[in-house]
This record gives sequence, C-alpha cells and structure tokens, in this order.
Amino acid sequence: MAVKYLPGEVLKVSKLAWGWTWFGFLLALDIAIPWYVLTNVEKMSGAFLFWTIWVVVAIISAFIILLKWRGVEE
Amino acid sequence: MSATFWVWLGIAIYIAVGLGIALMARRQLGVGVSEFFLANRRVGGFVSALSYSATTYSAFMMVGLVGLTYFTGVGALGFELTYLCGMFMMVFFLPRFWLVGRKYGYVSPMELLSDRYQNKGVGATAAILALVFLVPYGAVQLMGVGYLMYGVSGGAIPVVAGIIIAVVCAIAWSSIAGLRSVAWTDAFQALIMIVTSAAVLGVVVAALGGFGSFFSRLEEATPGLLTVPAASGAWNINMFIGLALPWLFFLISNPQVSQRLFIPKSVTAMKQMLGGFLIFGFIYTLISVLWGFGATLLVPGLENADLATPKLLSLTMIPTGLAIVVMIGITAAAISTIDSILLTLSSVWARDIHKGLINRRVSEKGELRVGQWVIPIMAVIAFVFAWWAAGKTGLSFMIAPLSAAASAGLLMAVPTIFGAFFWKRATALGAMVSCIAGAIVVLIFQITGWRPIGWWPGTWGFIVCVILFVGVSLFTRPPKDKAEEFIGYLREALKKGNFI
Repeated sequence: MAVKYLPGEVLKVSKLAWGWTWFGFLLALDIAIPWYVLTNVEKMSGAFLFWTIWVVVAIISAFIILLKWRGVEE
Repeated sequence: MSATFWVWLGIAIYIAVGLGIALMARRQLGVGVSEFFLANRRVGGFVSALSYSATTYSAFMMVGLVGLTYFTGVGALGFELTYLCGMFMMVFFLPRFWLVGRKYGYVSPMELLSDRYQNKGVGATAAILALVFLVPYGAVQLMGVGYLMYGVSGGAIPVVAGIIIAVVCAIAWSSIAGLRSVAWTDAFQALIMIVTSAAVLGVVVAALGGFGSFFSRLEEATPGLLTVPAASGAWNINMFIGLALPWLFFLISNPQVSQRLFIPKSVTAMKQMLGGFLIFGFIYTLISVLWGFGATLLVPGLENADLATPKLLSLTMIPTGLAIVVMIGITAAAISTIDSILLTLSSVWARDIHKGLINRRVSEKGELRVGQWVIPIMAVIAFVFAWWAAGKTGLSFMIAPLSAAASAGLLMAVPTIFGAFFWKRATALGAMVSCIAGAIVVLIFQITGWRPIGWWPGTWGFIVCVILFVGVSLFTRPPKDKAEEFIGYLREALKKGNFI
C-alpha cells in the first residue's frame, strides 16, 4: 500500500491506521476489563471507576488529535 | 398553591421563552433550502456544541438512562460511555463530512450517499431507513416528557398531556426558523439541563451525607448493581453488545446528528463543537448514572424504572422550584431532540425522496414547502407510537432499550457510510442490498423476539449487513470516477487541515 503514495501520504495513511488501531484497543478494554477482570468487584472502585477513567483516556486522545487541526481555505 | 399549578406555570413560561427564542432566530432566517435546514453552514462553535449536546442527550438520559441504572446497575454507565468513546470516531468523520458538505453542497447525509455512489436509490434507501426507525426514537422522547410531567405533578398531568405538549412544541420550534430556531433553543436548554441536573445531584448527594457516604451506602445496600453482569444477570455480554453496538455508531448512523457535521462555520467552530460536546457528554452521563444510583437508595422498589427520575424529583428534599426547573430542562431537551429529528426527516423527505425520486424538477421553493409539510405528519406518527408504547411495561418498553432498538435499524447504514469515505470498491447495489436486508433482519428479530445464540437483533442485522455490503460490492461495478474524485479530493483537503 505504501508504494502507491508519496512519502507525506504514507505518513497520513499511517496516522489513520494508528487512530483506528487505538480505537479498537479501547473497545477491547471496554469488554475485557469489566467482564473478565472486575466482575467480582462489587464496589465503586470496580467497573464504575474503570469506565470513568477509560472514557477520560478516549476523550483526551480525541483532544490530542483535534487540537492539531488547522483552518483550511474554502 | 398546588405543585400542579407551579408545573403548569413552568410549562407556560418555557413555551413562551422557547417561542421568543425561535421568533428571534426567525429574524435572521434567509431564503433557500440550505438556509432552512443547515442555517447556511454558518453556525458558531459554542451553539454547535450545545445544540449537538441537546440533540443527542435528551429524555433518554435523565429519564431512560437513570431508569436503566436504577434497574440494572453500572452496566448502564458502560453502555452510555461506550457511545461517548465512539465519539472518538468524530476525529475521522467530522472533517470528512464537513469538507465534502462544503465542496458539493450536500443538505442531508443521504444526498452525500446518493452522489458518492452515483445512484439516487442509495440515498432513498437510507432515507426510508431513517423514516422507519427514527419514529420510535422520536416517540421515546415524547414518552419521557409524558412520564416526567406525570411524576412531578403527582399524577395530576396525564402522560398523554405531556406527550401532546411535546409534539406541539417540537412542530413549532422546527417550523419557525428551521435549524436556526432548533439550534438556538437547543443551546439555551442545554445550559439549563446541565446546571439544574447538577444542582439536583448536589442536593441528593448532600442528603446522603456526601459522596463518600453515598458510595458506601450504595456498596452496602446494592452491591450487585456495581458489577457486570450484575446480580440479576441483566448485563450479560450479549445484552451489552446488543445495546452498545448501535450506540457506538450513533454519530454517523443517526442523520439528525450526522447532518450537524455540515453546519460549523469554520475549523475552529468544528473543534469547539467536538471538544465542547465531549466535555458536556462526560459530565452529563456521570450525573445521569449517579441520579440512577441515588434513586435506588431514595426511592427503592419502583415497578416502572422510567419513573425513577420523576419520583426522585418529587421527594420533599428537592425544593419544588428546583424540581420544576429540572423538569422543564429535561422536557426541553427531549423536545430539542424531537424537533431535530423532525427537521432532518423533513429535509430527507424533501431532498432525497421527493426531489431525488418523485419530482426531479421541483423548484427550491417547492422542495422547501414539501419539507415543511412533512414536519407535522411525522410528528403525528411519532405521537401515535408514543401513546401506544407508554401504556406498556417491561424491559422492551423502557426508554433506553427502545432507543437502542431504533438505532439498531439505523445501524444498517453504517457500512454504506464507511464505504463512501474509505472504500473505493464499494458499490450502490452493495449499499442498497445491505441496508434493506439488514433492516429486515432487525425488524423480524425485533418483532418476533427471536435471538439466536442470545445475540440481539442489531448484532445479527449488522453481521448480515457487512457481509452483504462487501460481498455484493465485490461482484458489481463501482462508480470508479466519482470514487476517485471524492476520495482524492478528501485526501488533499485532509492533508491541508492536518486532519487524519
């Protein structure tokens, strides 16, 4: 795939791929941790705390990307 | 004076203020379809963020999610936060929708699909999907308003009266100035929603002795609600995926929100819209779930969990004035979702069905007139559905599962949307066959209650949909020139804006 694009475009494809991979990883944690690691923890420090921290990580990830956006001429 | 009097007074003030805002918005209304349905793509970041928030978060949150938490526990938090995590995909889709919307002048997401696949049938298929499945979603908002007014007034205001008030307001807000009146009223109400709901949470937590004491009591009284699959077994993985999968792709599958991706006036406004929404969503979700947990301690044993919020608000510890303001905030949020749905459906009908299939030569004025007629018609259909469903009980007729069921149908457009942006080999026939077959699977499974190996209708429908989309596309001819031009344009434009 990389040979079809100029060097700059290879980087763009790579960023996109990294973005999707990171998102997939977050989704895997969404199920794996509450159902398989914290399933017997009947406390607020269990699934409740996990999901709260987990989504904060997702939000920060989105901010890191969107803060790099810059204006484009119409 | 009785609580009922104050509730009616609050509703009257709400309607007057909403009407005032909508009429102010009308003074800025220009001419044309793009102006009416998209505010001419000139909406600022602050209003975009609040409007997106109010459209997304509605009766579902403060009534439906509270009820689901009350009934099933912490899995409800995971389910709703999965949606918020799905908003990460906005970093891919927001710039893409926004860029092609400006370049090609799309009014609806369905028009985008028709153009990209070079086939009006694709847009029409996605439009019919939206018309079929957004009605129940709109109806649950009406149910939320009905339950809320019934509960806060102590039963003096019947559920159906609340539903009628919501229908009339939604028709007015969406008809007066199109997206301008919808966005302005949304923004105002979103602020009320978050401030007042946080205030009530503060009162509830204070009454329970602060967060530490609240959490300790929760762990002692209902430990089974703090884990998944929960003591009742409600949150098995199949249910979680069945509910969360449609929610995960909500941002592109639901046209009333994906249409909003066309409206920010600049890249800065886009950033503010997404950033503002993420913060709003995080806070509002936590408030809703904590309300649900608070209700398990303060109003235990309810038969209909969707009444948890109204019962919480009717407790003596909540000042009547605050309860009524919160009720109005939630009511307004529900109405802001319905009016957005009505507006989107009217644009979809006018542009993608009437102009796309029935009368291709219709003037812009005629197209707008058709769209405006569709608003009350769709509202009446949603009203009838809400009236019917409000009398039922059980998990299937709770607001949260009903909302997710509606989104399960809309989920069938997701492969088509992904293909439009990321797969040049995707074809119109693949898109149409996958949408139709997936929707039929969802409807059959939904109506019969059939869940082979425990998987939910949306899960089965999505699997069938993806297989058909890829399979049929590989055996049919793609619109090669358009795909090259569309994706090629995006590749260049994305690079310029440092988007990914």
